[in-house]
Amino acid sequence: MISFILMVNKQGQTRLSSYYEWMDMQERVALESEIIRKCLSRSELQCSFLEYRGFKVIYRRYASLFFIVGTKADFDVRVKGIASDSDNYENELGMLEFIHILVETMDRWAGSICELDIMYQLEQVHFLLDEMVMNGYVIDTNKSNILRSIDLIEREGSKNEGMFR
Amino acid sequence: MSLKLRDLIRQVRACKTAAEERAVIAKESAMIRTAIREEQEHYRHRNVAKLLFMHMLGYPTHFGQLECMKLVASPHFPEKRIGYLGMMLLLSEQQEVLMLATNSLKNDLNSSNKFIAGLALATIGNLATPDMSRDLAPEVDKHLSNSNPYLRKKACLAMARCLRKCPDMVEDFVERVVGLLNDRSHGVLITVVQLMTQVLVIDREYILEEGGGQYDGEEDAYYESPTRTAFLKLVPSLVKLLRNLLSMGYSPDHDVGGISDPFLQVQILTLLRLLGANDVKASEEMNDVLAQVATNTETSKNAGNAILYECVQTIMAVESDDGLRVLAVNILGRFLLNRDNNIRYVALNTLAKCIADGAHAGRSGDGGGENGEDANTAASALQRHRTTVVDCLKDPDISIRQRALELIYHLVNQENVEALTAELLNYLVLCPRDHRGDICSRVLKVVDKFSPEDRWRVDTLITMLTIAGRECESSVQSATTIYISQSSEDLRAYAVHKLLKAIRDDDGSQQGLLNVGIWSIGEYGDLLLKPYSYNPPSSGGNLSEVAELSAMAPESAPVTVSFMALEPTSVVEIVEEVMNRHTCPLEVKQRALTCFTKLRERFENSADAATLEKIQNLVKKYEGSSSLELQLRSCEYGALINAIKGVSVKGGDGDDIFGANQGSESVSETVKTAAKEALARMPVVDIKLIQRKRAERADALMEGDAMDPFDAGSSDDAAPAPSSSGGGDLLDLNDIFGGGGPAAPVATQNGNALKAPSAKIEATPNNDVDLLADIFSAPAAPAPAPVATPAVGGFDIFGGGQPAAPAPAIQNNMFATQPVAVNPAPSLGSSLVDPFAAPTPSQQPLQPSAPAAIPSSPAAVGGPTPSSVTVQGFSHQGLTVEFESSKPDTWNKQNSLLVAKFINTTDAPLYGLHLQVAVPKYVTMEMKPPTSTTVPVTGGSSTKQVTQTISVTNTMLGTKNLMLKLKASFTSKGTKVEHLATCSGFPAGQY
Repeated sequence: MISFILMVNKQGQTRLSSYYEWMDMQERVALESEIIRKCLSRSELQCSFLEYRGFKVIYRRYASLFFIVGTKADFDVRVKGIASDSDNYENELGMLEFIHILVETMDRWAGSICELDIMYQLEQVHFLLDEMVMNGYVIDTNKSNILRSIDLIEREGSKNEGMFR
Repeated sequence: MSLKLRDLIRQVRACKTAAEERAVIAKESAMIRTAIREEQEHYRHRNVAKLLFMHMLGYPTHFGQLECMKLVASPHFPEKRIGYLGMMLLLSEQQEVLMLATNSLKNDLNSSNKFIAGLALATIGNLATPDMSRDLAPEVDKHLSNSNPYLRKKACLAMARCLRKCPDMVEDFVERVVGLLNDRSHGVLITVVQLMTQVLVIDREYILEEGGGQYDGEEDAYYESPTRTAFLKLVPSLVKLLRNLLSMGYSPDHDVGGISDPFLQVQILTLLRLLGANDVKASEEMNDVLAQVATNTETSKNAGNAILYECVQTIMAVESDDGLRVLAVNILGRFLLNRDNNIRYVALNTLAKCIADGAHAGRSGDGGGENGEDANTAASALQRHRTTVVDCLKDPDISIRQRALELIYHLVNQENVEALTAELLNYLVLCPRDHRGDICSRVLKVVDKFSPEDRWRVDTLITMLTIAGRECESSVQSATTIYISQSSEDLRAYAVHKLLKAIRDDDGSQQGLLNVGIWSIGEYGDLLLKPYSYNPPSSGGNLSEVAELSAMAPESAPVTVSFMALEPTSVVEIVEEVMNRHTCPLEVKQRALTCFTKLRERFENSADAATLEKIQNLVKKYEGSSSLELQLRSCEYGALINAIKGVSVKGGDGDDIFGANQGSESVSETVKTAAKEALARMPVVDIKLIQRKRAERADALMEGDAMDPFDAGSSDDAAPAPSSSGGGDLLDLNDIFGGGGPAAPVATQNGNALKAPSAKIEATPNNDVDLLADIFSAPAAPAPAPVATPAVGGFDIFGGGQPAAPAPAIQNNMFATQPVAVNPAPSLGSSLVDPFAAPTPSQQPLQPSAPAAIPSSPAAVGGPTPSSVTVQGFSHQGLTVEFESSKPDTWNKQNSLLVAKFINTTDAPLYGLHLQVAVPKYVTMEMKPPTSTTVPVTGGSSTKQVTQTISVTNTMLGTKNLMLKLKASFTSKGTKVEHLATCSGFPAGQY
């Protein structure tokens, strides 16, 4: 399952974080800075996976923004000392593809997405992410499906008011 | 006035320092708190949005949790939406507040607005607690059959969460899943497949937990449950689904890189993997479709590779036929050739996992036999891709290299060990320094296990030391020396020639090489004087290539290895050069001294007088060294050389250095022989025994340095101190031979004690002291103490191993007045003469200890068994406490028996005596009550002595000394006296 999704820029500033496994604040801050440091230290030539504190981290870089997904085995067999035919790691290559779909979806949603779009429309991006991932599992990967519901929800929201925000 | 989120973000971005940012956030937090307190409903929405932002930056936001709850209860959709989002992000499932949301969630689940219901489902999916799951599962369940796919897919994942929280509900939900598999929406399909996967995992976990001891890890794969059985029936539907996806033409909705919905395919393959594992029928059903996926998937894009990768994993995990397995390994082989590092990474990872699993299955034996065979098929298929894996070692990406390395360790077998080891050594040259130590140890293991012949093994190890002598662990060094000493004379000659060459060519920084090399030159220096040549048989062609690191190709023609004979002078010069480098570590210098001393003996008949003189001078050179160890060695070896030459050295006080006043001018033959024997070749040591002993010692001591055979320094440090301060000449000699002690037990080991470790333990302490007493003492009483004759082993002068054997050859007993019986004093034997001897097994039970106490107190040396030492506890207000300490068990030196003797020096009895003793953590203690609580005047009318027995066990014997903290209370002449004291006067190393 996916344990967390991060969007971090080259300076190491988190632009979006979504955790599907509870961690307290200190842990989050430490984890984010550690991971981005590791990502930054890797070159283009190196593979996009790293292992960190039991997470398998898959990252992809788009311009100045890193999209980082941390995954864990569904069922941590090693802890329980059980043979490994069902330790259900996420498919790393599949995750890379998922990141790409996420970026494409965001891109189509905001025209051409950039770091600041994500920052200033934080809750919107979260809404979008919630249409794609729930509790660490993928809900849908179909761009038009996702965007259609987002669009409908937006309309639903603006029905009542323009008074907020 | 409340800021807009946008403005807050701007402000934060404008901050130049972290402190500024903190200030801005603190101010805003305060504003939000105020707003919350004042119930500013209007700003709730905005405040929660701001909290989300602050939360992301890593600031505390707990005060906003209740606000989220309030927003959730709002009738307006935007407020509800941000409220739920806030809940999902700000709250953990542990929080009590969540309870409050249950009702809102229930209402919203039933909302006619699909988006509100969707929000509620998402929240349940992300946050549900076990209680909530139980309460809300029926509502979620209803949505599973909702007409809207938007809600169905969310309900699937929400359900997965509920089941995860309440595994006991799993069974009730199996039925619903079936219909969902026919859904048209891919969103629903992917979620339902994930739900099924999760249910399987949860169910299995649950059953394993319930089953408790019934499933013991190995058997778990064969568990049965109603859920699994029900799902197994669905395998055909899943296969059909997957096949449809494969045959489906282009559909713009689901197309990723020319492949229809790779995500769904991957998820189905994952589910099939769980279902097919250990189920032959299911595996058969999916066999075809797996083959189809494996052969038909387009691999030009990442998406295709993701599917292939998943497919390979599934093939490996299920009971698929051999052909399919080979196909899978070949796919991985193709992956390895891919230019994309990510793909190579997963390939290496998967291959390593396959091999590891195969090994596991092979080991588990029963029932896993079939699996084991399968793994073998895979392994042999993998062998074909060996070169590709090896090529990955040259990749610029370190993670790829590491994976490849792991895999190569698994790939090594009898057939390919030579080629692969050569590759590993190649990599050793290139890899970062901090990885070298590890690689060396792994290579040692490989060489240990698969080495086809001794020559190759020694050759490889020497080459490895040449490359990474700096980084390799001492175990590698000692293993190399042991292998050299175990080998034939011919091979020893080869090794020592090679080592000499390597040392000559080295810049002096490869300490491991120097250690091994100098030791070998010392031991086998005579072999250097003969020319050496070796014609490898044409089959084992690549030996010399490995050696020279020039050509690694296994098929190159055999090359004759030959070395020229060396002059004694040049050998000495090479060692001298090493020693004179200013970078030369002390450890190497120490060894070099030993080497010189031995060379002096080896070259006795072959070198001219000048060379021999030079060697002696080289040894002497360090007589004034500021390093105590060097100085000590220098002096002692000097004496040893003189002894061999037959020169009697006069000590400062005119006494013969070799003991008591004998008045004889020349050294006796006995002494000469003994000295020669001291310099003889070391006995061959069994590496297995050492490894085992070392492991035991490691367990017992947990002291890294103490067990390091090369780290003789730690024990050496202790040795010189007492000898230089203590009893003069005799002591020094004592040390020489005491130091030689470690060699002796080996003799014992070669003899009878190999099978009886306990006997060995006993033997060790004997020989040092005994032999000292025996060899260098007045020719008086016949010595009952055994001294081994050379028959036991040519090297064995000190080998007083067999208590049964009387020693006719040497019958001198220094302490003739006391019969030298089995002496329980611990070993003198720090590794003075040759540190390489240190790991000899018999030394283990005892840590090398400072020899101080023993020779300085003859009572301890030759005293009755068990010898006892009296240690002053304290003396206070007329009460003196002394501990008469002894070792009750000859076989366990850790145990000591302390008898506290209370002496009353006042003129009136002491009453109410109460002694409390505290010991450090590493000591365990047991106290018996005192014989009396009244201490009569000692030496007075009553002769009864008051004692108290304390038995202590010092678990750190040898490294830490026994210390006691004493608290005594008694009444002396009517006044109550309490006294605290510390007693640490126990002989170091013995107690």
